[in-house]
Amino acid sequence: MMDKKNPFTPRVPHKYIGQYTPRMDAYDKAIGIIKFSEDITTKRQFPDLLYMKILKSPYPHAKIKSVDTSKAEALPGVVGILKYTDPEIAGMKMTAASWTDGTATQNRIRGWAHGNEDRKILGDHAHLVGDELGVAIAAETLETAEEALKLLDVEWEVLPFAIKVEDAIKPDAPIFHPEINPDNNYLPCTEFTGPDTFVDRGDVDRAFAEADLVIENECTYGNAQQCALDYWNCLVDWGRDGKITVISDSYAADQTRMHFHDMLDVPLSKIRAISPYEGGQHGRGDTGDQPFFIVTALMAKKTGRPVKYRQTRKEHFHDTTTSMEAKIKIGAKKDGTITALDYDMLANDGAYCDLGIAGIKFVPKEWAEVCIGQTPNVRMTGKRVYTNIIPDSCMRSIGNVQMAYITGLAMDDLAENLGIDPIEMAIKNIGCHNVSNPNPCVEEIIRAGAREIGWEKRHATGQGDWFEGTKKRGMGFAVNNTWHTENHEYRRGPTQVMIKLNPDGTVILDAPTVEVGTGTNNCAVNACAETLGVRPEDVHWIAVQDTQTGLKDQVQTDSAVSYILSEAVYQCAMDLKSKLLDKVANKLNRKPEELDIDEGRVFVKASPEIGMTIKEYFDLIDIYTEDTLAPLTCYYNRPLSAEDFGTAYMATFVEVEVDTETGEAKVLKMAVASDGGTVLYPPGAEGQLVGGQCQGLGEGLYEQMIYDEATGIPLNFNFVDYHFPTMADFPEIEPIPMEIYKGRGEFGCSGMGEGSPCCTPRAIENAVYNAIGVRINSTPITPMKVLEALGKDGE
Amino acid sequence: MVEKQKSVLNDGDASVPGDAVPDMVRIRINGKWYEFRVGIDIEPQATLAYLLREKLGLTGTKISCDTGECGACTVLVDGKATLSCMTVALSVDGHEVTTVEGLAMDDPVVMAFSHQCEHGYGTAMQCGYCTPGFVMSAKGLLNENPDPTEEEIRHALSGNLCRCGTYPAVLRAVQHVAEDMRNEREGAK
Repeated sequence: MMDKKNPFTPRVPHKYIGQYTPRMDAYDKAIGIIKFSEDITTKRQFPDLLYMKILKSPYPHAKIKSVDTSKAEALPGVVGILKYTDPEIAGMKMTAASWTDGTATQNRIRGWAHGNEDRKILGDHAHLVGDELGVAIAAETLETAEEALKLLDVEWEVLPFAIKVEDAIKPDAPIFHPEINPDNNYLPCTEFTGPDTFVDRGDVDRAFAEADLVIENECTYGNAQQCALDYWNCLVDWGRDGKITVISDSYAADQTRMHFHDMLDVPLSKIRAISPYEGGQHGRGDTGDQPFFIVTALMAKKTGRPVKYRQTRKEHFHDTTTSMEAKIKIGAKKDGTITALDYDMLANDGAYCDLGIAGIKFVPKEWAEVCIGQTPNVRMTGKRVYTNIIPDSCMRSIGNVQMAYITGLAMDDLAENLGIDPIEMAIKNIGCHNVSNPNPCVEEIIRAGAREIGWEKRHATGQGDWFEGTKKRGMGFAVNNTWHTENHEYRRGPTQVMIKLNPDGTVILDAPTVEVGTGTNNCAVNACAETLGVRPEDVHWIAVQDTQTGLKDQVQTDSAVSYILSEAVYQCAMDLKSKLLDKVANKLNRKPEELDIDEGRVFVKASPEIGMTIKEYFDLIDIYTEDTLAPLTCYYNRPLSAEDFGTAYMATFVEVEVDTETGEAKVLKMAVASDGGTVLYPPGAEGQLVGGQCQGLGEGLYEQMIYDEATGIPLNFNFVDYHFPTMADFPEIEPIPMEIYKGRGEFGCSGMGEGSPCCTPRAIENAVYNAIGVRINSTPITPMKVLEALGKDGE
Repeated sequence: MVEKQKSVLNDGDASVPGDAVPDMVRIRINGKWYEFRVGIDIEPQATLAYLLREKLGLTGTKISCDTGECGACTVLVDGKATLSCMTVALSVDGHEVTTVEGLAMDDPVVMAFSHQCEHGYGTAMQCGYCTPGFVMSAKGLLNENPDPTEEEIRHALSGNLCRCGTYPAVLRAVQHVAEDMRNEREGAK
């Protein structure tokens, strides 16, 4: 293994925060004690559970003309059948992904997809191969349910379809969602999405006319998949008392119950959503884009038994990142100052609206403020087109990975044309709207990454040495903002946390969020222990999110949760500490400000030998005369603020080796520098910077979903034919967590996890160009594309 | 299902002829013998993964792809790393199965995964869904090869998928175990 040489040094030393300590749940995860939803919904725990399967369309675009269910009904073991013509199904309103916008779950109005409700629960109109529709069957065993599906006699009206955008926008193309857009397959603009040209800053056309150099480029971003190993699953029990319990691997318990409430018109007091640990989120969609939730509930109601639904690996190829074709025009002065940028993006939205707006409008709009915030003239146009493949959604790095890919191409090309080092060009131009360039964070992270990769050894395009006769090496990099956490906090609404101090000095912390692997639990516990003055191992973090007993959970998106929770926990712990010190001060005949707490012991700062442990204090309380409730509990509501400190930045550097005979591009080494604001839990932060490359390398080099163009049938929806990186593929990666930026609050963290892969595909492409002197300009960089680019595909 | 304690391992044949489905299978799981009536306690086509999770509640073993592509369901059969989703339960009649629940509370591989946090690698798990499978694959590797090279570890564990990308930390954790084992062997000399 490579010698690791960039250990993180905290800006402000803390006792627990910023230390290299084991993950708090590592042992439980390693020895298999952690329970995922799949582990608490087995036949052993629910002996009378039924397994449900839903009919899938074999066609990319079709309507059900009729279904005869009689043979399926007659199969022994089949208990319940729901059909699209049943009144409770037929009368159901349309839905969409995330009407609650994924994070703020109070009302329908703020929904991202509001106005684009294009999903019908168990409808009759199929929009892609594998679309679940028409009929659901519940049976005593999974095998019986699967067998019963085969006995359905379905008559289909097969309709014309389109896999590619170019086919879907032809004048004679079939209309896929006439209920959304009766005229063509473009997704209409809504009040929330805004117009197609969603950024128009300065005077772009004039700036191009006045620029010393204008370059135009085109590229295509591909269609990778989230590939969580814990597939969507849920168990719904709809009791005879009218109460619904749903146990699922949704990353948002509160959102789940709101969705059930909205679709089923059941009072919230009668809906209990439980989300335990989740086996990887990676940005996969929301409750609303998963019709199976509501179908499972209706089946549970119909059969009077708990019903379980779980996707297979193939079924879990269900949504994707935003695949787009992009044109970019860049204008600059001779000194490398970028004066104008014009983006024209066209996304293949797939079968449904879902959360695709994130990739093509929502994130880019924010990105224009925080990443190219100092460029005076910017125009962005984005359009989405319905086709008949799996829909785009909110995969990790959404929007940023596309913007970094498109912009990184234009800037690399511009730098080469002007004879300027691309890292100097980035330092000159990348930054936030409210911090003047050069942005200190941009400069530091780029220099740190460049040092690590050995950027000074980078040769001119295609001018490097040959290795082993056929191989060439090159270096590339890309820079981007990290996630804009303050903005995301503002969009979510206020946060609530709770800390309960037990009479023995241990602590129960409700910093509610579903643990999906990001380590936000460690961050919240560290913030609590540090502030309150107790040991992290004495803080119990409530892991299972239960809407009946718990606080409203923070949805695991946007890399915002560690930031939001740590700040709320800090304030809550300060309040609790203040209450405790008031009380202990009485016992010690001191003033509260003379006291502090360390490792669960209150002591006099000037004479540390004087003091008592928290347990000793509680033992002294006379509950009949003192107004002290044990345990001592504090709730804190963190208020909203529109204050904006901007964002931090990250940069990824790679060195690749390209075999010009086989076309294989291989990453030899990576350096990922990222500014976390305050790094609450360094092993978790480094784990994000290293681990995110599983997706970054995958999107850059391997991952793509392939459809048969003649039939629309997906060809590689399994882990053998859809390859994501394994241990054997992983290069040496140096994570460089830094603390330069500081946002609002005590710690002022920046998001680190979501953005980790976002620079990688562009960095790889630029490195491949540096190695072989030709551009690939579409992800992933497969050997075939490399050989084509080298003009060797005919050999 | 009947649970019986037996003291010795029945050295049975792992292959079950297709035309001879037995009435009863006996499997030693985590040190304890279990008997299952075929067709009553388990269906003849049931996989070992299904048996462990749904019948015995041993949910430490995960099922992800269910088609032998991801390694999440890895258990030890007679000490060898085996994909339990691809193993018919009947075929391990008379054999010894170890799941993650059967490991000692202070098992060195479990402890190495738990402690892994040094600079430069991240932690040996994030979401943790693949982790028991990695632990069991690492156990299987070290049973066969107590002193593996980095290449041998990468090769042995490349059938275990981790979308969180914790591979470098997992590799490091396995190296730490191997190193400790080497030191122990050298100390014993």
